[in-house]
Amino acid sequence: MTEAVDGHEFQYSTARHQAETAVSGMWLFLATEMMFFGPLFLAWIYCRHAGPTAFDAGAKQTDLFIGTLNTALLITSSLAYSFGVFFIEAGRRRAMIQCLIIAWLLGGAFMLLKFAVEWPLDFEKGLFPGADFALAPPDRNGAQLFFVFYFFTTAIHGLHVIVGLGLIAWVVLRAREFTASRHTPILVVGLYWSFVDMVWIILYPLIYLIGRGA
Amino acid sequence: MKLRAKQLFTSYLLLLILLAVQFGVAKLPLGEAARGFVLLPALIMVGIVAIGFMELGKGPRTARFFAVAGVVWLAILLGLGCLDPMTRVLYPTQSTTAD
Repeated sequence: MTEAVDGHEFQYSTARHQAETAVSGMWLFLATEMMFFGPLFLAWIYCRHAGPTAFDAGAKQTDLFIGTLNTALLITSSLAYSFGVFFIEAGRRRAMIQCLIIAWLLGGAFMLLKFAVEWPLDFEKGLFPGADFALAPPDRNGAQLFFVFYFFTTAIHGLHVIVGLGLIAWVVLRAREFTASRHTPILVVGLYWSFVDMVWIILYPLIYLIGRGA
Repeated sequence: MKLRAKQLFTSYLLLLILLAVQFGVAKLPLGEAARGFVLLPALIMVGIVAIGFMELGKGPRTARFFAVAGVVWLAILLGLGCLDPMTRVLYPTQSTTAD
């Protein structure tokens, strides 16, 4: 009773049952990820409420152009991946691989912009919290809190993007195993990749937008 | 299948429009109370990604249950967590008034 013989593992009644269990399992994992990111959002709300003008001052120091471009890159990457799923469901494996490679490259571009361009610029501007922090009192302490949130959340999100890129690469390398009727790993990785996009969609206004016009 | 491709492009277009709205609104001189509304397009975008890209509506019932459970617990976490800072009245002490 192996998957190769009848299309599903022995503990499932059908191949569809197996696929639905995998998809549900990924959604359960994503629910725990929501709980993981939730306290970070709560910390932002709490600290912002305590020092709104300092958080405004911090937000104004961030690079809105790079932040917006990165958001567009991740959204487009999610679209490319979703088209990959669309193509494998239509039995077009080559088109699926091309879409996933595009999704991977866009994710890679996000990482380069974030950690090879934006972070070094932030360090140059003296925005890393510490003795040499660039902003002067009275907003200095609160703005440092803002940048603690900024560096910590973008680093954690970046780690998630790295895992996602690894998973997409794994799917591409195993692409020959997938068919129109057997492609559950592609679906599951796609859910994770879109979730990473979702987290960034929430982080974008928290970091770059709220308080910028103040 | 063509319908699915159209759905993906529509979702993408909506996401880009909402991103442009956020980008445009960011530099408006909004009051402190109104600043939270900048998050509204982001929440709509999350919904579009969940339905358009992740096909939550098409997935198994248990997947929808886990997604809703995640959102409910997140709401409880943020709601209860915010109660104290949002409702506490801070009275100036002698040391703070001296500054």
